[in-house]
Amino acid sequence: MSLIADDIVRFSSVLKIAYNLLTGREYLKRKKFREKKKLISVALPFSDLVYGFPDLVPVFPIRTHTFKMHKYLTYLGSASNIFGWKNVANFLGYIKNMGIGDVSKIIDEIIDNVIDTVNDKYNEMYDIGVENGIPTDFCYGIKILYGMHVTKGKNYDANLNYTIRCSAWNKYLESLKTINNSPKQIWIDIPPRNVGNALELLIENIYDGIRELEKVSGNSYDRNILRNHFQVGNEIRKVYKTILYEISTSDFYPCNPATFSEILVILNNSFQDYNSNAIRYRDNMNSLLYEMKERVRKKIGMDVSNMPKILFTPMFGGWEPKTHEIIYELGGRVLYADWDLLLTLEEIPIKTKTDPVEAYASYLMNITTNGIGCDNDKLTDSYLRIAKKLNVDGLIFNQVFGCHSVSNCFTMLKEKIRRELEIPSIALTFNRIGENIEQVKTRLGAFMEMFRSFK
Amino acid sequence: MDNLELLSEYSLFLREKKEEGKKVVAFISHDNIPEELLDAAGFVPLRLMFAGNDELMDASHDYLSPSTCAFAQSCIGLFSIKPSHYRFLDIIDYFIISNHCVSDICASEIISKYFNIPRLNFYISYTKNDNSGKYFKLELLDFKDQLEKISGIKIKNEDLKESIRNYNNFKKKIFEFSNLNIIGSEKLRVLQRAMLYGPPFLPELESHIQMFKENQVQKTDNLKGILITGGSIFLNDFLIDLIEEAGGNVIFFDTWVGYSYYSQIFEDNIIDSIENPLDLLVNRFKNNIYDDHSVPNFLENKISQIELVYQEYFKKTGRKLGIINHIIKFCDHISLMSSHLKNRLQQKGISVLNLERDYSKANRGQLSTRIEAFLEMM
Ligand code: SF4
Ligand code: SF4
Repeated sequence: MSLIADDIVRFSSVLKIAYNLLTGREYLKRKKFREKKKLISVALPFSDLVYGFPDLVPVFPIRTHTFKMHKYLTYLGSASNIFGWKNVANFLGYIKNMGIGDVSKIIDEIIDNVIDTVNDKYNEMYDIGVENGIPTDFCYGIKILYGMHVTKGKNYDANLNYTIRCSAWNKYLESLKTINNSPKQIWIDIPPRNVGNALELLIENIYDGIRELEKVSGNSYDRNILRNHFQVGNEIRKVYKTILYEISTSDFYPCNPATFSEILVILNNSFQDYNSNAIRYRDNMNSLLYEMKERVRKKIGMDVSNMPKILFTPMFGGWEPKTHEIIYELGGRVLYADWDLLLTLEEIPIKTKTDPVEAYASYLMNITTNGIGCDNDKLTDSYLRIAKKLNVDGLIFNQVFGCHSVSNCFTMLKEKIRRELEIPSIALTFNRIGENIEQVKTRLGAFMEMFRSFK
Repeated sequence: MDNLELLSEYSLFLREKKEEGKKVVAFISHDNIPEELLDAAGFVPLRLMFAGNDELMDASHDYLSPSTCAFAQSCIGLFSIKPSHYRFLDIIDYFIISNHCVSDICASEIISKYFNIPRLNFYISYTKNDNSGKYFKLELLDFKDQLEKISGIKIKNEDLKESIRNYNNFKKKIFEFSNLNIIGSEKLRVLQRAMLYGPPFLPELESHIQMFKENQVQKTDNLKGILITGGSIFLNDFLIDLIEEAGGNVIFFDTWVGYSYYSQIFEDNIIDSIENPLDLLVNRFKNNIYDDHSVPNFLENKISQIELVYQEYFKKTGRKLGIINHIIKFCDHISLMSSHLKNRLQQKGISVLNLERDYSKANRGQLSTRIEAFLEMM
């Protein structure tokens, strides 16, 4: 390595988002103990409701963990306080350009370390989840989340739970109650289908959730605050989509494609809670997009026109993070677009609805009925939609061991792909990070052979 | 009558119904499917409540990953291999896609799509409260609408009430039957038949009750009492034999084929006092608190129910009841909660065996050993 480090240091915004991800614990401790805010654990990429309260902070559970952070990243964090992330990035980029031996190596280590540290933590949580009663038969995502709650669950003031079509997920949420000192559970039931006045029921369910959040907060819900947040949330979604549909589909990338995939991973993993500060996150997203566009304009980056675009999905239940590097080495580029596939990057329609809760309910109902779908027919349509929109050349379906929901749609999907898209596809199985890498490489090698004559 | 005989008789029964012009609607057998609506609309409900085997499970792998629950796999296998005794599955007219769990959705959808059986939809909220009750009603209305469209006949309230009454009386009879002091395998045999045929089985059920009342089999005293919870023992499953061979006797079937079905009874005055029959079905859904589909109180409710049965049994017999939690491999609902259920019940001094299995024959020996060891320990 590090082809990724080589590039990533030049993006101040990525450095910042990655830094915020790893130093979440300190940030959240400050929020909780000094500023007396309440932490709400969230896991799904549509948990915006928490932002309707000024003193509630949404947290994707991995962020309350301590990471063994490379000491130089800590220094960089401090340096950024003085010089700003942009200057830090410029400085790092300068060193890389000059190829200043040891220092350049340290930078590589820092970035590799960020990625490996997070992955090691996930595997550690997997083991804790299993040791504490999640049968090995369940998906990686559920095991790691349970592990995160066993270890740090007491830090939260509440969990915000949404029921979805995955029965394992809903049961997992209930099982959190078995953990000692587990926080209050707040449930929002999303009706499985939009029949009759189901939308009105969803609105009531959201209001019930709000009343529960009010009890945790001690403050009343403020619709203006929520509306303003949705505005910010929509800006984030818009930038996210621009990165997905403008940058990732173009022939010239602002960095090498493996780095680009890594950025998509970081976005995917930070979108659930916007790093607990939506405005800061939006600003980082804006500067990320700006930086990307600037680089493309100045022709800094890489011509990727001869590299087939491979959609890799789903990754939210766990996936092998080495995939995009392997594919890159095999001459392809990987796109991750789970959140748009499930329609969570759609706007929350505050322009057409005055009550933000109503707008939020419509947004959730759209995700449920048209994105995730209550059955596999709809879900497979979502894969097709995104593959068409991204105009991908191939699709890798990630079959997560123990996932009975999403993983089970591959037969149907394969048939639809054959019929409607005529692009190559394969299913890779995944159980745990780092397991069977050699096998993954072999299978991907065979898959990428199909693109040998790609122009 | 052995199971093969039962299947051919059942096949005959269905064919007769078809000749009468009735249509057959199948679904995977869990809770909450409103059979009464099907009945009132003139359809014959067919519960898929057949256990699997290696061949059936393997046959599903063309459609689903092998890490899908063994029961859902086997349901697909039945359609894909078409074993000779299941030829009656060829005459199914519609298949209900429902979300008891996600494997239920996936398997039902595959059966409908790849075996060309038109689908009917019926979905249920995951929580249980007033709003999920209201949602249940929306689904009932939609379901009623779907049935009316295909049958071309309006379902009248009186007809639906009549069906509710019929099913209610039928369930009461099963309840009465379940209290008889007879060996578990006998009880299960009748229970399975009853649920497969529905109310037309009532006369036979009554004669079973009569017969068993006259010669109550009392020789169960030397066997160890077992409550089976978790996944059902479906038709053709050898599990009950293993339990009895090991010296156990299932006295309580706390599963879909069992208490979850026949306990959902209305008092007669309730049926009369509620005007809209759909509201009756909604009430039943809301009262079904032991249903494994629901969150967030499934575990607590299940523990209190098992504890209650355990205490009653102890009071009546002075003996302890052992709990076998039957986990059909890869079952989301039962498997995920299994270690918590066991720990919590054991803290109350109740012995629990978490018995996980698929339908492969090779498991038989291992299952026997585990059951024997558990009964020994009791
Ligand atoms: S959909 Fe699959 S990956 Fe996601 S929580 Fe459910 S089982 Fe896990
Ligand atoms: S996973 Fe469990 S609840 Fe679902 S079909 Fe299988 S046995 Fe039934």
